[in-house]
Amino acid sequence: MASKVDYTLDERGEVCPIPDVETRRKVKEMKSGETLEVLIDYALSKERIPVSVKAAGGEVLSIEESGPSEWKITIKKL
Amino acid sequence: MSVIIQGLLVGIIFGVVLQRSRLCFNSAIRDVKFSHDNYLMKMALVGILIETIGFQAAAQFGWIKLSPIAFIPAAQIVGGFFFGMGMVLAGGCASGITYRIGEGYVTALVAAVFFGVTGAAVRGGALSFVTKWFGTAITTTNNPGGVYSANNGAVNLTIASWLNINPWIIAIIFAVILLAVILFTKTTERKVSGLNWVWGGVAVGVVGIIGYLSQKTYALGITGGWINLFRATTGSLDPTKPVPYNWIGMLVFGLIIGSFIAALLSKEFKLRLPKHPKTFATVALGGIFMGFGAGVAGGCNIGHIFSGLPHLAISSIVATIFFVLGDWFMYWWLFERQTSKRS
Repeated sequence: MASKVDYTLDERGEVCPIPDVETRRKVKEMKSGETLEVLIDYALSKERIPVSVKAAGGEVLSIEESGPSEWKITIKKL
Repeated sequence: MSVIIQGLLVGIIFGVVLQRSRLCFNSAIRDVKFSHDNYLMKMALVGILIETIGFQAAAQFGWIKLSPIAFIPAAQIVGGFFFGMGMVLAGGCASGITYRIGEGYVTALVAAVFFGVTGAAVRGGALSFVTKWFGTAITTTNNPGGVYSANNGAVNLTIASWLNINPWIIAIIFAVILLAVILFTKTTERKVSGLNWVWGGVAVGVVGIIGYLSQKTYALGITGGWINLFRATTGSLDPTKPVPYNWIGMLVFGLIIGSFIAALLSKEFKLRLPKHPKTFATVALGGIFMGFGAGVAGGCNIGHIFSGLPHLAISSIVATIFFVLGDWFMYWWLFERQTSKRS
């Protein structure tokens, strides 16, 4: 999964709902075709973000476990 | 089994269930409006439905007396709104920040400490004068079915005690409405790695009933627990005036342990610190608002929404409305008002 992403958001350690809000905001701003990589460390964010970015026009390409309780979510703006 | 040990055990189970189901009332309330996501709300409704019937049945069998929280309108309105705002600042509701401590969130610990200290100050401490601002409880002498606890003949208001009708009638009507909402609304999709909304809801509801049977004076709560933990722990600094740990203090302590164990076993424990130290100030303020709000209102999201609504307690209905309004207001203020403004 070495394809380059346009933006990265590191939301690890952040208080709810920051990871969700910042991700959605970024996806809204992005241009069609651009990709975003979000780093999170909370399981609840992993479950919510795919649903919440849909409304902002984003599609989750992958969710990779990148460490103990850490994930990298790759999102593409449709 | 001593009451203290029971509280601890119920707390541990509650903590495990909360961590696995990820139930947070702050998120549930916020998501319904701002994410059009009803997943956690439906989980909460399942739990409330089970408790509505369960509490009534327990009272019918004479195992408990129903003890809804006292209705002091201004207290639930103002306290409710502050608590709602506080939940958003703190990043979680009272049970939410408690179980997140077990998962390793340092911000949750900060919020909870300020929550406990402020709550203790309001309820019998340095800030107890504020409770006088809100007046006294509106009670009734009605005790339909004799299922309610009475203080010198005064019974706290629920829909049933207010109207003086059989509480089962109200409970069943409420349960049917909840069931209709649960079955006939579409549930927001979510792929979960823990307990789903049905099982999570069932589990917390059952824990709620067990909690009532164990504590007897009320079902689950969080606020009193943090207050007790704070008072008993600081009280032990002066051995001549010991303050004992009580059921609800042990419940909260057990909650953290249960959540910790569940997180550890599912590899979700991680010491988490925010990027900006400013966040600590925000969550501390959240804890203060929550402590003031719940201290004044007589209960937090668990005491009122989760344990109070099954009683159809007037205090809890009003508190819930204002928790929601406070939550929505603060979320809007922080995140929706201007997209350029960061919290």
